[in-house]
Amino acid sequence: MTKTIVVTSGKGGVGKTTTSASIATGLARRGFKTVVIDFDVGLRNLDLIMGCERRVVYDLVNLVNQESSLHQTLIKDKRLDNLYILPASQTRDKDALTIEGIARVMHKLRKAEFDYIVCDSPAGIEKGAKMALYFADEAIVTTNPEVSSVRDSDRILGILQSESKRSKMNEEPVKEHLLITRYNPSRVKDGQMLSVDDIVDLLAIPLLGIIPESPSVLESSNAGKPVILDDESEAGQAYADAIDRLLGETKPHRFMEVPKRGLLKRIFG
Amino acid sequence: MANEKGVELKGGMYAFMSLRIDTADLARIDAILGDKVQQAPGFFKDTPVVLDLTPLTHPAGSSGDEPGAQLDAAALIACIRRHRLVPLVASVTDKSSPLAASVALPLIEGGQRRQTVTDGTPGAAPGFAPGDDTLTGAAVTVDRGMQEQAMDLSGGGAEIEYVVRTPMLVDRPVRSGQQLYARDTDLIVIGQVGPGAEVIADNNIHIYGPLRGRALCGVSGNTSARIFCQSLEAELVSVAGNYRMLETIPADLRGKPAKIALDNDRLSIEPL
Repeated sequence: MTKTIVVTSGKGGVGKTTTSASIATGLARRGFKTVVIDFDVGLRNLDLIMGCERRVVYDLVNLVNQESSLHQTLIKDKRLDNLYILPASQTRDKDALTIEGIARVMHKLRKAEFDYIVCDSPAGIEKGAKMALYFADEAIVTTNPEVSSVRDSDRILGILQSESKRSKMNEEPVKEHLLITRYNPSRVKDGQMLSVDDIVDLLAIPLLGIIPESPSVLESSNAGKPVILDDESEAGQAYADAIDRLLGETKPHRFMEVPKRGLLKRIFG
Repeated sequence: MANEKGVELKGGMYAFMSLRIDTADLARIDAILGDKVQQAPGFFKDTPVVLDLTPLTHPAGSSGDEPGAQLDAAALIACIRRHRLVPLVASVTDKSSPLAASVALPLIEGGQRRQTVTDGTPGAAPGFAPGDDTLTGAAVTVDRGMQEQAMDLSGGGAEIEYVVRTPMLVDRPVRSGQQLYARDTDLIVIGQVGPGAEVIADNNIHIYGPLRGRALCGVSGNTSARIFCQSLEAELVSVAGNYRMLETIPADLRGKPAKIALDNDRLSIEPL
């Protein structure tokens, strides 16, 4: 059974593409045949984060318009055998996508026996975002610890309830997960950021994970390597925990406390 | 300027029994009414009723004899009063029809036949309507429990039905940007109402969770409607058009269970 997961947020710049890349990579690493689709037509980024930008020949719009085959369009990840990337078109815009066209693509992916389809949603609540979430079975709502991001996440949760295929067909609702990114415990302590408890209280959905703010996220993006592959970094470990929870494990949340500084560090800064 | 204190004209909603007549046979109506009233004399004594003549009056614009053309309206009303029921107003399909014209009661125009949905399960919310984020409750419903109590005088004769509108029930959070409207009824939300969400009802609003968005009750003028919530953090609350913003809500009431009602044209917010 193919599972479709949308990574969405409403607000831009909160880490949807970083999350999509790491979640897809994490699932593939656990042995699941996974494809990650960039729905941000016109603002293609996922290929950069995945480090496959030089291998893009055909894209999602070609596939939707039946100008290319699935085999031609999917880019095989160079690190993991069972991971594929379906890039967005950079020269078109969101109007090039249709529900019928996406439905055909999803059908082909199911027939190709993918375990997971991860959809990287564009920001906003317009057509592109609605297309990305339409076929979702589960949703990872990516939120930064600040009020505007939380409110936009609340809005996108409402849209998931009214605009997804599951809601329109009166099926079991889309399973919602909250992923808090760019979490900085010391800034939370200073009252500059919302705490995990505040966010969970405001959004009232189960918490999938907390990704701490970390320089390794930017370094990984620049290197074209999903941060989950950086086992040393806290962000990479936090994404790995999130994968465990996505697969049904219960794990305590980490990286919520201000790290203790050693005596020497305290003296010498 | 005239002093308006002491007299006040307001919109209100009241529940009445309706007595539906769908035969022109007066003797038969008399017999059925007598029979029913005898079963529960106390229940019917001096009970005000809305006389529903819509089955006997033609819709506007149609021609031919009315089904109720033979009915003597004055005799009918006398008969109903004899059974200690008090007809207040007659509901007809067309005020200009001959039967309607002969009724010595105030007239209201009702539909062809009231549509009654027999299954009054509020149950799972009917789902957010596709295309927009609006939920509307079922229009007119007969509550299952009340239905058993409903005085069925039918047998092809007359029928008293007691119409109860089931509340609209939503058992998940109302998210930012969503708007719910419970037409002619209560709205019950099990969960929170997020900031930027709007919940609207013609009657009461009950929120079993924090109210962080806007809540407007009694929007069709029902000044006795109220809002109840478990944690008052609303951006705006309104009863029959009288509203207050969060800033004007006393700080000691914020974040606490509260009841909001209209008290002499002033919005009163009290702890629950």
